[in-house]
Amino acid sequence: MSAKYDRAITVFSPDGHLFQVEYAMEAVKRGTTAVGIRGKDSVVVAVERKATAKLQDANTVRKLVQLDENTSLVFAGLLADARTLIDRARVEAQSYKLTMDEAPSVEHIARHIANIQQKHTQSGGVRPFGVSTFVLGFEGDNPRLFQTDPSGTFSEWKANAVGRNSKTIREYLEKNFEETEGRETQVLALKALTEMVEPSSKNIDVAVMRKGTQAVYLPSEEVDAILKELAEA
Amino acid sequence: MAVSSWRMDVPGLDGKCGQASRAAADLALGQDALLTNAEVTQANFPLPAVQNLDHFGKKVEDLVKPDHGTTTLGFIFKNGVIIAVDSRASQGSYVSSQTVKKVIEINPYLLGTMAGGAADCAFWQRNLGMQCRMFELKNKKRITVCAASKMLANTMYSYKGMGLSMGSMVAGWDPSGPAIYYVDSDGQRTKGTIFSVGSGSLYAYGVLDQGYKWDMDIETAVELGQRAIYHAQFRDAVSGGTCSVYHITQSGWVKLRGNNHYDLHYQYYPDGHATSANSVI
Amino acid sequence: MEYVMGIKGKGFAMVCTSATAVQQIITMKHDEDKILPLGTHSLLATSGEPGDRVQFSEFVAANVRLYALRNGSKLSTKAIANFSRGELATALRKGPKSTNLLVAGYDKGKGASLYFLDYLATMHDMNIAGYGYGSWFVLSMYDRMWHPDLTEAEALEMMRLGIEEVKNRLVVASPTYTIKIVDEAGIRTVTV
Repeated sequence: MSAKYDRAITVFSPDGHLFQVEYAMEAVKRGTTAVGIRGKDSVVVAVERKATAKLQDANTVRKLVQLDENTSLVFAGLLADARTLIDRARVEAQSYKLTMDEAPSVEHIARHIANIQQKHTQSGGVRPFGVSTFVLGFEGDNPRLFQTDPSGTFSEWKANAVGRNSKTIREYLEKNFEETEGRETQVLALKALTEMVEPSSKNIDVAVMRKGTQAVYLPSEEVDAILKELAEA
Repeated sequence: MAVSSWRMDVPGLDGKCGQASRAAADLALGQDALLTNAEVTQANFPLPAVQNLDHFGKKVEDLVKPDHGTTTLGFIFKNGVIIAVDSRASQGSYVSSQTVKKVIEINPYLLGTMAGGAADCAFWQRNLGMQCRMFELKNKKRITVCAASKMLANTMYSYKGMGLSMGSMVAGWDPSGPAIYYVDSDGQRTKGTIFSVGSGSLYAYGVLDQGYKWDMDIETAVELGQRAIYHAQFRDAVSGGTCSVYHITQSGWVKLRGNNHYDLHYQYYPDGHATSANSVI
Repeated sequence: MEYVMGIKGKGFAMVCTSATAVQQIITMKHDEDKILPLGTHSLLATSGEPGDRVQFSEFVAANVRLYALRNGSKLSTKAIANFSRGELATALRKGPKSTNLLVAGYDKGKGASLYFLDYLATMHDMNIAGYGYGSWFVLSMYDRMWHPDLTEAEALEMMRLGIEEVKNRLVVASPTYTIKIVDEAGIRTVTV
């Protein structure tokens, strides 16, 4: 009787694929785009703002969330799935601080999120998370950017994109990435994002994390200014 | 049956086995009798005026908390960290060993000292060593002294009240500089510049506080550590053996001294100890 | 011996603790900071057994931080005090935390507050509160001197007099003390 229900939902195919995980990555590709760039003195994330319904308060639907004093997260994919991961990451950050009396590294948090995602590819009765995350932060003087995906892999990146059209943007970055500093990092992030997204501050948010502070959104005037420069260039 | 006089004729009531009989006798009297010294006439030595001798003995021991027969000390100065320890283990008045290793080398840049129950110290600090190694493997970097000491303190706290006895210093050098944390089995954990732990610590503090300067050179600091331990070993009966001194710098720890207490004694006072009533020969 | 005193004045709350870490008869440290900041506008002044004191206060601090991150808004001082009380009450019947606390804070709109919590999970909103042998000498002094329009300078003077009295009369008085104040501008350390 229970034969139908005790199968793991994620099982290998004959040619070695985990289809559920790959389908989850497709779900991520349907989410709005996010571009992350690591500069010399900051980490910049440029995100495509999701079109909100007329009656919806746009301020409550923001992609950048704070995990800990020096760590933030941006995701692409299913918002509800992301919410769970974010909460678990926040609890882990405080738990680490309580146990070790020091702040966790960005890598630790990224690894924790990745571990949770991996567990959901190897357990009965659960499905993978349809979320890829960028975990960004500072360790001392060093900016760091990590990416996790539904399979549970995580790695550090100099620059990457997730969500809609991320492949094209990543290819652009591979061709055009260079070490940037200060405002240049923001320019590069916007250049990459606007390859596939309409260049207007109405549908783009840019968040900057500098050493010792939380990640903050750039005011839309500054975003417009950079977009204007790019248009004229 | 009321009895006006306190005196009881109860043969064979001295010693522990007499307790039960005495208690029974009390009950028979119908009084919650508190025995005074006068009652216990059968004993050959004065006993405390309490109802329950067995438990009183244990209570006193718990109250006084017989201290960790050891002297250990650690201090930070301009040129690093000095850790100095004795090496005696005692069981009551029996000296069971003069060659105990009271510094545990957790890893090449972290040291832990041991005072208190030898088994508790040795086991939990080795456990800490394992946790530190796991941290290194997971995070591809060394653990800080702050985090290492916090892990040990958390472990101690989770066993609080269950009878562990450990007073230790976790000392080392990490990217934020030198640090010493005092961690004990009560769950206390505190960061500091000068610490001494153990029954001989009061004696060690006396010499250490008087001789400490921030900008000592290494030789002076090592000598101060050794001298403080020597004086503690001299005065404290349960400290003795040898005096080991470690020096920790940015490149890790190194053991610099391991002199025997008696050798040190004759080295410092070849003509006999100045403050002794009788010269030690 | 441990000493904690708190004074609530007009628009501020001030807390003073002894700054010694003691092990039996030895003073291990003279600069132990027993006043833990919780966010930008609340303080936790702690006293009690060393393990319980630090572990419990760090636990409260971690939960306060987590709440702020999860919900995008800070916990009020009253909420922090009530949360701590709840935790102490739960612990009381399992493994009591041997620690007494003062929660002091400033909230926009409400002003300053000072809460007294003890290891039995008692909680009171007070103008003046304290723990330790030293507080027995000082509570009456503060009762006499306190008035509703107390200024920061007056409160600091009261703290100074309290410390002096403790050093004068208590056999085992601590030589060093820490004083912190929280008001609209946030938390800062002051010296007498």
